[in-house]
Amino acid sequence: MGQNALSRELALRIGLAARALPDTDAKSLLNILGQCVDAPMTESKVAAIELDTLKNANNGEFAKVDVDVLQQALNILKNVAPEKVLPNVQAYQDGDMPGSVRIVCATDDAIHINGHFGACAWFMVYQVSADEARLIGIRTAEIPPGLVVDDKNVFRAEQIQDCKVLYVASVGGPAAAKIVRLGIHPMKLAEVESIAEVITQLQSVIAGTPPPWLAKAMGIEASGRFRFEREAVG
Amino acid sequence: MALYIVEADCISCGDCEPVCPTQSITEGAIVFKIDKRTCTECEGDFDVPQCVKVCPIDNCILPLEA
Repeated sequence: MGQNALSRELALRIGLAARALPDTDAKSLLNILGQCVDAPMTESKVAAIELDTLKNANNGEFAKVDVDVLQQALNILKNVAPEKVLPNVQAYQDGDMPGSVRIVCATDDAIHINGHFGACAWFMVYQVSADEARLIGIRTAEIPPGLVVDDKNVFRAEQIQDCKVLYVASVGGPAAAKIVRLGIHPMKLAEVESIAEVITQLQSVIAGTPPPWLAKAMGIEASGRFRFEREAVG
Repeated sequence: MALYIVEADCISCGDCEPVCPTQSITEGAIVFKIDKRTCTECEGDFDVPQCVKVCPIDNCILPLEA
């Protein structure tokens, strides 16, 4: 402690920023930040760190980190309001992307699938095909003031009812049943992954042979799944 | 008298396999499948078919038309 003590607020932000970065704990991030600013570390000094400085710090330890993720970590350190860091939504009309499926990711940071279905800050909606992924919506699923809803989880699920697959970090059993009932397939990830990673995995599945339920969700007719049925017989 | 799994709906969760009293459910090449020669629809063991009871998807396990 003593002269090296961080403010409680800054320590918290360093912890949160470290969580946003791959393979980084608070201690190692603190060490790296220590190389970016002169001691003692203060909130204003940390707020002045530039993206390139962080990227090149500690012999380029973060050079390979996705620039969006690094910016996100920096925004957390600088306490930039999260509303200001949301990516832009891209235009999409039905039919724009043949052979695609609409998915939604529960997130608290707009980068990772780290949200609990019933409490996450945003549902980010993507239209994904084998070679393209478009962010087509960001929904908060907050209940508007004055509106009385019987069941919060049903309300939240209804906000994403146009999506076929929902990725979450966690979801309760009864809520999952309500999600399934609305025709959405919930996927609980074993560990937190970035949205970009999950989309890349999904794209390789779509490009290969999607499982029958996914093919059905994508609207691929049974005839298009002929190969499956032949295999099933053989 | 047997049940079958609708291939287009099965998500391969595998929940049905261990609850089958006659071990009629196995994982097939694509999705899980029920051996119609041994499936009893749980008659004699349970009041309702156990696979239908645990399956998370509606109308995924249906009676095989005779």
